[in-house]
Amino acid sequence: MKYKKNRNFVTGAALTGVMLLFVLIGAVWTPYDPEAMDRTAKLAGVSFSHLMGCDNFGRDIFSRVLKGSGTTLLTAVGTVGIGTLCGVIVGAFTGYFGGAVDEIFMRINDVLFAFPSILLGLVVISLLGSGNFNVVIALGIAFIPSFARIVRSEFIRCKNMDYVRSARLAGAGHLRIMFVHILPNTVTVLLSSVMIGFNNAVLAEAGMSYLGIGTQPPHASLGRMLSDAQTYLLSSPGYALFPGIVLIWMVLGFSLLAEGLKEG
Amino acid sequence: MKYFTKKLAGLLVTLLVVSFLVFIAFAVIPGDPATAMLGTEATEARLEALREELGLNAPLMVRYLRWIRDILQGDFGRSYRYNMPVMSMIGDKLPVTLTLTAISFALIVLISIPLGVACARYAGGVLDHVIVVADQIIMAVPPFFSGILITLVFGLLLHLFVPGGYVSWQQDWLSFLGYMIFPSIAVALPKSAMAVKLLRTAILSETKLDYVRTAYSRGNGTKAVLYRHVLRNALIPVITFLGMALADMVAGSIIVEQVFNIPGLGRILLTSISNRDYPVVQAIIVCIAFLVIVVNFLVDLLYKAVDPRITLE
Amino acid sequence: MKTKAIRRFLLTLVYTALTIALGGCAGDKAGEITSRISIGIPQDIEDSLDPHKAVAAGTEEILFNLYEGLVKPDSEGNLVDALAESHTVEEDGKVYTFRLRNGVKFHDGSLVTAEDVKYSLDRCADTSNGDPLVPAFSAIESVEIVDADTVRVTLKAPDNEFLAYMDAAIIPASNAAPETNPIGTGPYKYVSRSPQENFVIEKFDDYWGTPANIDEITLKVIANSDTIVTSLNGGAVDMFVRVSQAMTEQLSDDYNVLEGTMNLVQAMYLNNARAPFDDVRVRQALCYAVDVQEIMDIISDGKGTKLGSSMFPAFGKYYMEELNDLYPTDPDRAKELLAEAGYPDGFSFKLTVPSNYQQHVDTAQVIAEQLKRIGVTADIELIEWESWLSQVYADRDFDATVVGLDASSLTAPALLSRFVSDAGKNFVNFSSEAYDAAYAGASSTTDDAEKTEYYKECERILAEEAANVYIQDLPCFVALNKKYTGYEFYPLYVQDLAKLKLADGQE
Repeated sequence: MKYKKNRNFVTGAALTGVMLLFVLIGAVWTPYDPEAMDRTAKLAGVSFSHLMGCDNFGRDIFSRVLKGSGTTLLTAVGTVGIGTLCGVIVGAFTGYFGGAVDEIFMRINDVLFAFPSILLGLVVISLLGSGNFNVVIALGIAFIPSFARIVRSEFIRCKNMDYVRSARLAGAGHLRIMFVHILPNTVTVLLSSVMIGFNNAVLAEAGMSYLGIGTQPPHASLGRMLSDAQTYLLSSPGYALFPGIVLIWMVLGFSLLAEGLKEG
Repeated sequence: MKYFTKKLAGLLVTLLVVSFLVFIAFAVIPGDPATAMLGTEATEARLEALREELGLNAPLMVRYLRWIRDILQGDFGRSYRYNMPVMSMIGDKLPVTLTLTAISFALIVLISIPLGVACARYAGGVLDHVIVVADQIIMAVPPFFSGILITLVFGLLLHLFVPGGYVSWQQDWLSFLGYMIFPSIAVALPKSAMAVKLLRTAILSETKLDYVRTAYSRGNGTKAVLYRHVLRNALIPVITFLGMALADMVAGSIIVEQVFNIPGLGRILLTSISNRDYPVVQAIIVCIAFLVIVVNFLVDLLYKAVDPRITLE
Repeated sequence: MKTKAIRRFLLTLVYTALTIALGGCAGDKAGEITSRISIGIPQDIEDSLDPHKAVAAGTEEILFNLYEGLVKPDSEGNLVDALAESHTVEEDGKVYTFRLRNGVKFHDGSLVTAEDVKYSLDRCADTSNGDPLVPAFSAIESVEIVDADTVRVTLKAPDNEFLAYMDAAIIPASNAAPETNPIGTGPYKYVSRSPQENFVIEKFDDYWGTPANIDEITLKVIANSDTIVTSLNGGAVDMFVRVSQAMTEQLSDDYNVLEGTMNLVQAMYLNNARAPFDDVRVRQALCYAVDVQEIMDIISDGKGTKLGSSMFPAFGKYYMEELNDLYPTDPDRAKELLAEAGYPDGFSFKLTVPSNYQQHVDTAQVIAEQLKRIGVTADIELIEWESWLSQVYADRDFDATVVGLDASSLTAPALLSRFVSDAGKNFVNFSSEAYDAAYAGASSTTDDAEKTEYYKECERILAEEAANVYIQDLPCFVALNKKYTGYEFYPLYVQDLAKLKLADGQE
């Protein structure tokens, strides 16, 4: 296992592992109903019954962070999923065939790539309307260019290699060559960019929720909690700190993994 | 010179593609601008008159060309909601966001180059270790969260600035700049961390190269080699990064504006998106795209200046 | 050596930054303006600066300082003569004659003439674009200039409550663009605005009445309600009207918190034309499911006045306290009603809430939680205030919404007229023949007791039909920096900024 000595990879895997465990627990069990309100526990401090205290509705922040990280992660998975899938298809075709279509696609791609994904997401949102599902679509679309670009360059690199030539001589069709022969060889590079994608998707989702476009209340989401917590910064700093720390944890894990993969 | 003209041509084509995409995106969506402006109770005759006046009845391509012509003359149309020229709406917001981005940009350069150099020089030392770890963590902090922390620590606890106390630049540009410092830090932090890391790696790999060894063997001191030879080459990936980071910084600025209650493009973009006030959204997108593309163009030129070996492939 | 240089450099950088930041705090520029205040507002004043076209309460309460009518409300809600020096009502309220005050000036320096008054009233009543700008003005038969100082308004039928509408703003006939260049007669005049940023007004020196105290007022838009507290504590704004209870607890010692009532009917307004809210049983079920006391406990520590219909206590004789308990909290009864209506497993709907009003957003969250108990899912959708106005209020494209409706005057029609089936403002699409009849009855009589009875009948119908899920008249907390005093609560949705002044000991 060549990754063993790779400190970035190990730390990243550990952080992400703990995070995934955290999210999995949140999916099946939370100490309290994350949306249940308790008028006697408004802005309660950290205690054994409420590990991270309570928010202004008396909702348990720990439960909300558990649930909220799940929402954020799920959005990231959807986003990266759409981005990777469409990106691979666009990148594979343009890279493999080249020509005029490639020129046009890459010209558009360059433009989109130069655009901040949140902004691109906002434009799509302005066309689709807000809501969690639309955020996934919007960010997913915004993520296509970066994946397409990477896959395309990999395909260009691979398409004239010996194994591809021999496959062609053996009579394999274009589709078969593209997805059976070339694609598996791009996995290492792709995996590392998928991790970077997760990293960016988590940040983008949190940003959108912070702006009030993603997850709608009363559902928990890390970005939304951070935005709500601003009113109570002085008296209950934990309300902002805990979701923030979890967010950083998540992003840190993915970015270390990405680096580890690159080095590995 | 040929390099320059070729790049310039590419720039113009890209700009055209962007403007066309933006125009098409907003032209095909359902919704009638005339109804948006006059309200649902307006009579059909008045709606039709307004559509004619706005040129909405013309074919798509004609509308696109007209739109481009108007933009070139500095006219982005009228806002549906405010019923005022878009130009006068975003005219005094654009400099706000640009200033925020520019200060952040300057901060990144000012922070990352000295730190990156220091790290590389003392690679393996305590300072290096601390910075590398801190770097990795700071990279993971979203700008709006650092904005919240800055508000808490420097605004509410230390009273170094007045949260929400934004002063417009027309009123008092000095206070305006003063207020922008802390938001800029929030925007700049993660990117600076990234730049430090890049610079450190680049310097370290550069020092292993032959020419550096040659330089040493000719009796040059460490400092001289570092600044005269290594840094120059190591800056190339950092410049690339800065060019690409610009887009993210504009986005970061838009969010950070919300944390610090700065009335820049962000606020107006968000309300316009929610109101479906498309002329305003279009204008802001085109402006940002223009900015990003032009800066990338400049980065390309800068490359050429730093490293004459680079040619157009 | 190198590190030292770097450190020196970094220190210089920090110092420069600090100097710039601190330099910004140094004193105001010299000028005529000696007193100023900065007030936060939750939304831009953007629906229109034209006083006859503005519909948003948040706009009207500010325009109150710029414009005046022939009469205007005082801080007790009574109508007092403003641009009129005196008025007489004849023939049971069919003919209103106003004697104009002499020497009143518009902000542009011109004198208010009888022609301006006629122009303004005619403009409000103009029907050439469909409904008149002020719907109630369709009752006007004619506006005549009797002489240079007298204007007579004749109605089509007697209505002794019509005086309340004579607070419509008087604007100069010569002003071609009231939307962008507001000219009125109020104690403050318009200076400048910047969309989504601020709205600046200054003291009008030639004001006919008691002049304003503070020279310049900047209304700053704080559309992100999460930054209200930091803006107040940091000192970016000196005053914010209608902060939430939770926010008041976060304020520093620099602030006084004044407490009053908001004078509005906060409710979950239901689109009565849309299934399942077209079924009275469903609406009643929601009323049984919503626990108003819990809402008040959670969002304002129990403060607030429970409401049962579209009327709040400031209205005195019209307010019917007994309606408040028509639907005691009873989830079981609610489920029964839902089952009867054909929704034994509940249903889900979209609850659209303007994001800039923290109280309504909070209330909506509590309601969504309470409705879960009867199997009903409320999906909250936060939208910008401007979108709320166009989508919910104008286009009536919504399932349900949580907002507060205010009254422009202390007359029952101000709250009740909108529920008449074909009323232009009936955005909830309430439709009841009994209600229309009762309302028509009130309009046709001039006997006060009889009128009151009819209006009470209207309120009762709204409550029994469960037109909306009535919640409360919210407590109103005004955060005001101790440097200022003089804030006065009105029983209406009005901000009288002219009464604000510097506290003793402040220069």
